Amino acid sequence: MGVRTAVPSPLRQSLILPVSTGVDSPGANVHRTTSRSVKLLSVALVAVLSLVAAGCGGDDDAATTTTKASGSSGSSDSGVTKAAWVYVGPTNDGGWTQAHDAGRKMVEEELGDKVETTFKESVPEGPEAKQVMEDLIKDGNQIIFATSFGYGDALAELAKKYPDVKFEHATGAASSENLATYYGASEDTIYLTGIAAGAAIADGGTVGFVAPFPIPEVIRHINAFELGVQSVNPTATTKVVWTNTWFDPEVERKAADSLIADGVDAIASGQDSPASGEAALAKDLPFVGYDSDQSENLADVWLTASLYDWGPYYKKQIEAVADGTWKTGDYYGGIEDGFVHLAPFGQLVSKDTQATIEKQQDAIADGSFEVFAGPIEDQDGEVKIAEGETATLPELLSMDWFVKGVEGNPAG
Amino acid sequence: MIRLERRVDQPRWLKVAVPAGSVLTALLAGAVLLSLTGHDAMETYQLLLERGFTSQGAFTATLTAATPLLFTGLCAAVAFRMRVFNIGGEGQLIMGAVGASAAGIALGDGPVVITVLGMILAGAICGAVWAGIAGALKAWANTNEIITTLMLNYVAANLATYLVFGSKSYWRELGGTGAMFPQGKPIAEGAHWPSVDFGNFTMGFGFFLGSVIAIGLFVVFRSTRFGFQVQVIGDEPRAARYAGMRTKRAIFGLMALSGAIAGIGGASDVGDTRYVLDPKALQQAGYGYAGIVVAALARLNPIAVVFVAILMGGLSNAGRALQGPDFPAGLVGTLQGLLLVFTLGGELFARYRIRRVAAEHAAADPADTPGGAPAVTA
Repeated sequence: MGVRTAVPSPLRQSLILPVSTGVDSPGANVHRTTSRSVKLLSVALVAVLSLVAAGCGGDDDAATTTTKASGSSGSSDSGVTKAAWVYVGPTNDGGWTQAHDAGRKMVEEELGDKVETTFKESVPEGPEAKQVMEDLIKDGNQIIFATSFGYGDALAELAKKYPDVKFEHATGAASSENLATYYGASEDTIYLTGIAAGAAIADGGTVGFVAPFPIPEVIRHINAFELGVQSVNPTATTKVVWTNTWFDPEVERKAADSLIADGVDAIASGQDSPASGEAALAKDLPFVGYDSDQSENLADVWLTASLYDWGPYYKKQIEAVADGTWKTGDYYGGIEDGFVHLAPFGQLVSKDTQATIEKQQDAIADGSFEVFAGPIEDQDGEVKIAEGETATLPELLSMDWFVKGVEGNPAG
Repeated sequence: MIRLERRVDQPRWLKVAVPAGSVLTALLAGAVLLSLTGHDAMETYQLLLERGFTSQGAFTATLTAATPLLFTGLCAAVAFRMRVFNIGGEGQLIMGAVGASAAGIALGDGPVVITVLGMILAGAICGAVWAGIAGALKAWANTNEIITTLMLNYVAANLATYLVFGSKSYWRELGGTGAMFPQGKPIAEGAHWPSVDFGNFTMGFGFFLGSVIAIGLFVVFRSTRFGFQVQVIGDEPRAARYAGMRTKRAIFGLMALSGAIAGIGGASDVGDTRYVLDPKALQQAGYGYAGIVVAALARLNPIAVVFVAILMGGLSNAGRALQGPDFPAGLVGTLQGLLLVFTLGGELFARYRIRRVAAEHAAADPADTPGGAPAVTA
């Protein structure tokens, strides 16, 4: 999507096209050219028709087998459950989508013959997604996991149209009879990564945060991060740059570079790819990742990262479909059930800091500590969560303000 | 030494043999790729055809996918006919979507004729203005339109992003899930464009409108004075000026027309499919750039654009059907590209013949390559 991919192709086209239109002698008479366009039309028509014909002819057998296959596998009589995943990015994005696909692979490994999985990657959020999911349903998939917020409209529509198919929407907002949502409290683990970052920089230093979209989910994560930083480094701040994309390594990298040029002391990422970590590595700044364990690739600068473990949830839901006990719901996993957890610590995290983080992790898991517990002030010093209170779930889900200590605009 | 020579006249059989041959070659080349990567070619083609065109609901989805390409394809074809290289279909479509969604929101649940007409008009005007900027610069300041239209694409994309992601504008939905994720304000249900059910498939109003525009353009280019001017100015601007044609005005007018078509494509995106301004999805889709490919494949013929758009739409839909654990998206793209390149490449043999020539003769005449000279001077 970046300039690098978008620019050359039209430019190249523009250089090619004069050739194809203006090959004939410059003084070509207009009538000849007009009749040529009629000829071209017929050529184009023939091309289209023959392509269709070429596709049609010959392999009726394949057609029947395909239909048969999809027809029979639609039911679970055979004991095989068919499950499909729809991903917003490529399965090798080194982050979000890769983590989901790791979950799918885990399901395949652990359920073996009892499950048949497939996926579609880089599916745009729009009418294309609906088409892709309808095709997956045609193929007999009984449960579909869609792993991006933007699939919501398509899912709501299809859930109504196909009441027998189970739909699962990661990070989704609306559930229904056969449409469940699932996500996790990564703000808790991101708070812990904030502790690692706060301890890794000088007192009163600044962490640069490469953030995707100015939405409550991400704002919540950034706030949790800064609260973690402050817990060990009270005057340290977090500086935010929005990329307006979940996955675009080039843009992510540039955003990190701009933060580094601004003089931040560490980099944290909320993006799907680890590209900002490479920017941090180039300047030897401590790095907090997201979604993927890069402790080996970025060993020199690695602190830790908040990770999701989607596999167990996927396995549980598919097993529920298989034995007919699947029920809708809004799953919100946490540290306590292992849905969110931390990546291995890098060498920059001291033993003391590791001990602090582990202590807090246990406190969150047993419920004795909450990240968004008052008093918490926003950027203007207004008390948003009073002393003795904690943020309610609706407050968390609609958070549109930054805590004091975050530099940036929560409106994007 | 082998050399290509332009055919003075094309024998009749070539017109059938070449396209048929190139499609066959395309399928064979694809089959080689498929078997090299361990896939059954026949089965793959069968699935492509089924999911792109023949299976239940597939043709409807293909028409939906083809609609924006039809508009951006026409946008490019119209401008390129006069050798005005409007690369800005992308931005003009986005601006059309911006205008049309505002109209759709504002007109709300009025009579469907009014809302649809209003959206088309708003889309066309916004697209025309956006292209008109580059057109005026080209006509009266002799600015390179490739650069200006391309740059304006980024401006349009960022403007649309700002309207939905960066501000609480008229276009943005703030309630409901809009509080969780920035999204466009949906147009009222009454402003959804109608569609016609043909039994086996459904055709959105946008596709119908685009086809009508294509036929209209075909007639304009064939038998009107404006069409004649476009042809002459495209072939030889100086001759056109000597003949008393107002070339500057024609350039500006053609750019505006081209942009208006892309703008209606943006209106159709809002009215036919998404019902909101969705800047992220529009940028991801890149309809404007794909439209240039459509126009080139259709040899700038408006009616051929309709069929090529359908073909491309079906191919991209079917491509997603192929994808899966054993069939990565990259391989799908390679296969699609291969099919297109071979189908297009065959055209060369309809217009040129291959001839062996003496080496010194070829060296003495380097410019006389297949269409080589214009590529250098253009």
